Amino acid sequence: MKTKPFLRSIAFLIVIFSLAIAACKPATPPPTEVAPPVEETEPVAPPVEEPTQAPEARKVATFIWTQEFDTLNPLYTNMWFSSITQQIWNCWAWDFDDQNAPHPVLVTEMPSKENGGISEDDKTITLTLRDDIVWSDGEPITSADFKFTYEMVIDPKNTVASAYPYDLIASLETPDERTVVISFNEPFAPWAASLWHGLLPEHVLRPVYEAEGTIDNAEWNRAPTVGCGPFTFVEWESGSFARFVANENYWLGKPKLDEIFIRFVPDDASQIAALKAGDGDLGTFFAYSDVPDLEAAGIQIIKVFSGYNEGWFFYLDPEKGHPALQDVRVRQAIAMAFDRFSLAEDLLLGLTQPAVTLWDNTPYADPTLEAWPYDPERAKQLLDEAGWIDTNGDGIRDKDGVELVLTYGTTTREVRQDTQAVAQQQLLEVGIQLELVNFDPDLFFSSYGEGGPAAKGELDIFEYSTTTEFPDPNMADFLCSEIPTDDAPEGVNWESLCDEELDALFRLQATQVDFATRQQTFYQISRMIFEKVYWLGVWQDPDLFGISGSLLNVKLSGATPFFNIFEWDLAE
Amino acid sequence: MKPDEPPAPHALLNADELETPPLTIAQLTWRRFRRHKMALFGATMLFLLVLYAFAGTIFFSEAYANKTDTKARLQPPSAAHPFGTDTVGRDILARTIYGGQISIIIGLTAMLVETIVGVVIGALSGYYGGKLDSLLMRVTEAIIVIPQIFLLLVMAKYFGGKVPNITLLGRTFSGSVVVIIMIIGLTSWPYLARIVRAEFLSLKENEFILAARAIGTPTHEIILRHILPNSIAPIIVAATLGVASAITTEAYISFLGLGVRPPTATWGNMLEGAYNYIENAYWLWVFPGFLIAITVLSINFLGDGLRDALDPHSRAI
Amino acid sequence: MTRYIIRRLLQAIPLLLIISLILFLLMQTMGDPLATMGGRTVTRSEDRKRLTRQLGLDKPLIVQYLYWLVGNDWTKLDLDGDGILETRGTRRGVLRGDFGTSLVNRGVPVTQVIWSRLPNTLLLMLTAEAFILILALIIGIYSALRQYSFLDNIVTTITFFFYSMPVFFFGLGVMYIFAVNFKKWGLPYLPTVGMFEPEAGKSTSQIIWHMVLPVATLSFGFIAGYSRYIRSTMLEVMGQDYVRTAKAKGLPRPQIIYIHALKNAALPIVTIVGLDLPFLLGGAIVTERIFAWPGMGRLFLDHVSRSDTPVVMGILMMIAIAVIVFQIITDVTYAWLDPRIRYK
Repeated sequence: MKTKPFLRSIAFLIVIFSLAIAACKPATPPPTEVAPPVEETEPVAPPVEEPTQAPEARKVATFIWTQEFDTLNPLYTNMWFSSITQQIWNCWAWDFDDQNAPHPVLVTEMPSKENGGISEDDKTITLTLRDDIVWSDGEPITSADFKFTYEMVIDPKNTVASAYPYDLIASLETPDERTVVISFNEPFAPWAASLWHGLLPEHVLRPVYEAEGTIDNAEWNRAPTVGCGPFTFVEWESGSFARFVANENYWLGKPKLDEIFIRFVPDDASQIAALKAGDGDLGTFFAYSDVPDLEAAGIQIIKVFSGYNEGWFFYLDPEKGHPALQDVRVRQAIAMAFDRFSLAEDLLLGLTQPAVTLWDNTPYADPTLEAWPYDPERAKQLLDEAGWIDTNGDGIRDKDGVELVLTYGTTTREVRQDTQAVAQQQLLEVGIQLELVNFDPDLFFSSYGEGGPAAKGELDIFEYSTTTEFPDPNMADFLCSEIPTDDAPEGVNWESLCDEELDALFRLQATQVDFATRQQTFYQISRMIFEKVYWLGVWQDPDLFGISGSLLNVKLSGATPFFNIFEWDLAE
Repeated sequence: MKPDEPPAPHALLNADELETPPLTIAQLTWRRFRRHKMALFGATMLFLLVLYAFAGTIFFSEAYANKTDTKARLQPPSAAHPFGTDTVGRDILARTIYGGQISIIIGLTAMLVETIVGVVIGALSGYYGGKLDSLLMRVTEAIIVIPQIFLLLVMAKYFGGKVPNITLLGRTFSGSVVVIIMIIGLTSWPYLARIVRAEFLSLKENEFILAARAIGTPTHEIILRHILPNSIAPIIVAATLGVASAITTEAYISFLGLGVRPPTATWGNMLEGAYNYIENAYWLWVFPGFLIAITVLSINFLGDGLRDALDPHSRAI
Repeated sequence: MTRYIIRRLLQAIPLLLIISLILFLLMQTMGDPLATMGGRTVTRSEDRKRLTRQLGLDKPLIVQYLYWLVGNDWTKLDLDGDGILETRGTRRGVLRGDFGTSLVNRGVPVTQVIWSRLPNTLLLMLTAEAFILILALIIGIYSALRQYSFLDNIVTTITFFFYSMPVFFFGLGVMYIFAVNFKKWGLPYLPTVGMFEPEAGKSTSQIIWHMVLPVATLSFGFIAGYSRYIRSTMLEVMGQDYVRTAKAKGLPRPQIIYIHALKNAALPIVTIVGLDLPFLLGGAIVTERIFAWPGMGRLFLDHVSRSDTPVVMGILMMIAIAVIVFQIITDVTYAWLDPRIRYK
């Protein structure tokens, strides 16, 4: 305890010293008169910063992302922001252009029956790789990388996000360096939309796998310095930014931009502010309500359909569901009592329109179908016919003592909460009461096993935006086998709808590799879901991209938005 | 006052009060309180705010507060909508009235939960001491150690959506109101519990308690009739300030997106989406935000005045 | 003293165990980490089944907690779902310093996830803390010395007003005035979000410039609270005998105020600063959200929204440890500073 007086005086000195500092400098932060210190940064900046500050015009395009990637390994993420970034630094075997047509990247041409790429029995697909494809470090990309990627996906020690469709593959052979032969047990129609979303460099990751038995912890997942896209990863600082510079070795052409700088902001408001201030060249995933503001600031808005449609699902379990929803007339009445047209016009500022099918804007949607009209009178008539009449005069229809009160749940997203408020008011006008509930997304989308409200059937109507395997229309949400139960709690058919005819059609289409026959099947499916109102489209949910005037040659695609990013340029 | 209790020490203090006939505690408190101008101001403001939230219902129906009109969304303040309209065209004035009710109710009931739990735990801990005391105090510490907002966020998700909507007096309330009340109440009691425990520790050694015990007064009676009334001053002050912190806390959770769910409006959840409109629609956040700030300010003034009046020895923070 | 510290540290162990158990239970139904896994569609059923198994989420709660606490490298796991336990676990458990790996950034250790953000939060908090102390001391001493003067009344009212104002309202307000409107009016304006402008790079001046509003937002409430506190302790001390003695001795006024009075008045501040750490952290979560500061608060919000139990547990446990350690440091410092206090 001898040190005590000494320490006390030290502590005291600190107090005095801080007072002195405070006295000399009225406020620690710089006074507001100081101009934004852009110029004066150069001398102060540590030398590490030089790439961003090189004097002559390096062309740096800044993207503003509202969510940070969870990981950059393409196999480990479901996240949209991470997936779209893959077009910058990683490569798919083929991309999709702005018409959503596949065009080859790693392969010489798309496999087809004509060129022998697809076998006669539709079960085997043969890929022929280009000769000039190389990783960004100069190593050639060979069929071994494809095989390695496949092995990593199906290895039980790797916690990849999705093994689809690799877990359906019967065998994958690599007869030579340039050939990959993939065999399925059954003909697999959606192969083009689901295979080879990203490739792993075997020469980088094989040693990691052999050392650790898994690639979960590979440094490459967070810092993929070896890639195969038009740009190469440089750095990623958590919560702040990620940088990608032009890949000199890119075989489709040297990128015109020198660098892509991705800045992470936490929400729409910051993104909009940055775009308007000219601090960003490209932003995405903002709300419809922000569009006029952005357009006023000279930002070009591009709508890209990537298969998402916002819609209402109904809980149709014959025993546990609400009896009214079992009657197709009630569902039709709901469709006609809900004015989705003015909703799209006012709330979504006319930027979109009511969705008709789950395949709107693809060749699989039956073009003869038109959205249910807004016709509250017809809705009332249908409800009367179905026997739902307000017998006790409380303004809510009822039948056999059951009130027509439906629980309507969705996530906490602002536009959905607003939609709920509007729908509640409109349906009340025809005598249907909606009870509104909201959940955080990870609660709302919880599975049956985790007690998810939609999966458990606690919601009569549940709203979210979903997509198929875009640009392929395959989906599992209406299959009888996907109805969640205590034994199979992970099922995704939360409507609990088992329509044998629909089920058979869905199973049939998945095996129809021929486009025209499959299209006809989907016309049938679309019509059935539409007429029976198994799903009610609320609005088409395109991805919105905001692009500053200085970014040139931008084309965007639904499945692989940045497919031509190597052609993008910045105006002087 | 019971004859066996010591006179409250402050009763002897003021010279001018010695001249006048003896005053009751309430009178004394009122005398000190009304000298505190800010506290009077706070009390008046609070009265007006409560009037605003509850008498406002005469002018606007709840249906009107929830009525959407997508054609008239995001309108700036005007004669038709003095506070403007929100993102689906609801009248913000009417919503601040109905939201105010819920906010005030949340503040009061969360405070009640907090006070009940805090007093019970503090009293048991302080009176019995020993093993029970150290067990309860460990739990108290465990809750103090995690910052309340972190705990609230986790709990809000834990209970989120588990409570169904409630219909009361012909009005439907989101079940999340109950969730918010409970989690705020259940995370904010530790400070109160410590205060009560300290009071009990010091009071239980006083002669009048020893005397009561000696004549065989049952324990619950000692706690409820002898110790508690003597430690009521700090409890009242803490409870008053607790209302303010509950209202702010509700706003915090709502601001972070885990608060009370629509259709029920609160001042807090009216702010939730407003952040995105900071530039274009200031009226979305200015009015509810201002109401929260003014309410909290008034309660703090009131609490400060009460502290001075009830408990003149305590030191204001 | 050493024995006192050791005893306090030992007491902290059961406390931390209780906290971890409560939090772990709360965390389990907080949400479903596999619901969409950050994507926009529901996770495919086969993938969900596989990941539940691989990540050990199918294990009973108590087993999951045990693995979290002591690791699972002493047992074998079934990763491919064939019912045979063939793979040895790799987790070492919190007790051996392994907080597990993030479910969101799969494979990345929790400590690494947290360390990548911690410096930013510390930068913000330490600056704010310094700012708080300096301003609170100035305001507090000033109003104490000129008690009931016009300025004192003004300052008291203003501090009260700020003390009552919710953090986010202040944050939105200053952002609206100094960033949005200053820009509109053509004045030099402060940046709204982030740590630096991408074009300017991450330089010291950029960071300072971007810290102005967040630091102001984080500290205003505390400045108000502390200055009121300092005012009252100063007033109390100024009335003490030894101050009167010093005055009678004819010591210069500054010496009386800054050496005799302030030294003693500053003692309680030490306690407050130490004990208010949880509140400062709570304020940081809102401030970081508003100003897009890449710190722990935002990390916490992001990972809570995806139910990333290991990271959320990691952050909360680290905060708990920090708070406990700070409490001990506070007590010890207090004892060092105040010779009247002895710990046994």
